[in-house]
Amino acid sequence: MGFIDFIINSILTQASITIALIAFAGLLLQRKPFGEVLSGSFKTMLGFLVLSAGSSIIVGSLLYFGEIFSEGFGMEGIVPSIEAINGQAMNELGLANQIALTFLAIFIFNILLARLTKWKYIFLTGQALLWMATITTVFGSAAGFNGIGLILVGGLVGGIFAVAMPAIAQPIVKKITGSDDIALGHFCTIGYLFAAGIAKVVGKNSDSTENIKFPKGLGFLSDTYLSVAIVMVPLYVITAVFAGSEFGTVLSGDVNYIVYAFLQAVQFVVGVYVLLSGVRLLLGEIVPAFRGIALKVVPDAKPALDCPVLFPYAPNAVTAGFITTTIGTVIAMFVLPWFGLAMILPGMLTNFFAGGTAGIFMNAVGGRRGVLIGGIAHGFFITLLPALLVPSFNGLGFVNTTATDVDTVTAGLLFEWIIQPIMSLFG
Amino acid sequence: MSFFKRKKQKQQPEAEEQQPVKKEHLLEQIDIYQNKLASSDQDDHVPLFNMLGSLYFELEDYDQAIHYYEQSIEQNKAMGKAFTDLVKLYNIKRKQASSENDRDGVQYYLQKSDELMKLTKDTIRGNM
Repeated sequence: MGFIDFIINSILTQASITIALIAFAGLLLQRKPFGEVLSGSFKTMLGFLVLSAGSSIIVGSLLYFGEIFSEGFGMEGIVPSIEAINGQAMNELGLANQIALTFLAIFIFNILLARLTKWKYIFLTGQALLWMATITTVFGSAAGFNGIGLILVGGLVGGIFAVAMPAIAQPIVKKITGSDDIALGHFCTIGYLFAAGIAKVVGKNSDSTENIKFPKGLGFLSDTYLSVAIVMVPLYVITAVFAGSEFGTVLSGDVNYIVYAFLQAVQFVVGVYVLLSGVRLLLGEIVPAFRGIALKVVPDAKPALDCPVLFPYAPNAVTAGFITTTIGTVIAMFVLPWFGLAMILPGMLTNFFAGGTAGIFMNAVGGRRGVLIGGIAHGFFITLLPALLVPSFNGLGFVNTTATDVDTVTAGLLFEWIIQPIMSLFG
Repeated sequence: MSFFKRKKQKQQPEAEEQQPVKKEHLLEQIDIYQNKLASSDQDDHVPLFNMLGSLYFELEDYDQAIHYYEQSIEQNKAMGKAFTDLVKLYNIKRKQASSENDRDGVQYYLQKSDELMKLTKDTIRGNM
């Protein structure tokens, strides 16, 4: 009994070990050579621990930012970062095991739904599924689910999103690609359709963006780490100036308070870098295995691929969508606090990938005018939805951050607005 | 309804006859462009690679189509048909591997597709 107790209480409570064991079982099931099974399991464990380290760095930086922002502006400043949400949920909230199991459950529900329904989509963007598993676990647990129920409900909701989002995007994707073989697997689809709806209304007979000549030199903004730095560094430094030297020095100690703010902003970027390296290691072994199984079980599946799949069809629309979406997020940053919502800082990385893809959708149905007006509306929309989740994230103990990717946010709102009230009805 | 049925039945043999003609035409075109490629002394072979990729795709010789499109992208990473057709081609090859129960083949083409996505991201950064 002592030995079993030791396994249950001392080993299985350690998320890094259980996650490695899940990978171990998965690799064994695929009949991989034993050496690969061992190295794959170890890499998965390493991935989780690297992710945790990244999360701690981000949290440290965000705690500092939260303090200077409240001092400087007398309100809350929220950094939209799904990576930070994932890191905090796995570590500070102790939901790592549940998130890992929900992630697997989403895979399984995706395969089942693709096999049994007419929606033959297999969602191949692993990282997006991890973010979805994070949100369904966090909000499922807040709604009162636990144990196997939490994993099944999260898996079902995530699985439905994994087939439904590519399905609702497919009519426009078909129009863009001219084929029905490839689908889009990116959890920003509700935003794309919202933007396309507006573009269609306002952009009748408007010329395509592909005839515009854009100035070059915006490419650096799409670099994952530079784009984060470009927002965070000025933001931290300006906020530190507003907070004042007296308050700033309390936090910075011997270091000059402006230099300290600069270094804390860079620490945030370092945290994102470390966390994403961990995610890559963590998913590197599990995702290929899932894909192989999924495409075997559903032979006529349509692979739902990450958003760059659409970029070559309208590269100008990507730039245009990115710019107009960014304008929309900046407007929303200033407007939302008037309505009692938190100030959401623009997330340049989301603006690039979600804004760029929205640009292609908008161009396909509403040309240039569609991209201009629809893009601004899209930027506003993808800032508003995460703002609605801020009170819940704060209540759950997250530090100055909210989720990005509107489909993932919608899954969170679905739990909060529909599933939780139903759960409370049943006591 | 019977009117439409009769019409369809009539059209079928004609379509069947057209197939070899079309194939012959495509092979002729491929021959022309391959000769052009062999005798070309220009550095930029991208339009020829793309044309050959496109013709082989139409001919349903997917391996050759992939071969030429990949060469095109290697020479010049310009967003366009080489990128969009390659995604479709990798998917077709992945499907074939799935139906033949070729596990390594499935992973190989999924990996290829991932690499192409990464290249697309990098290329669009360079183009902006």
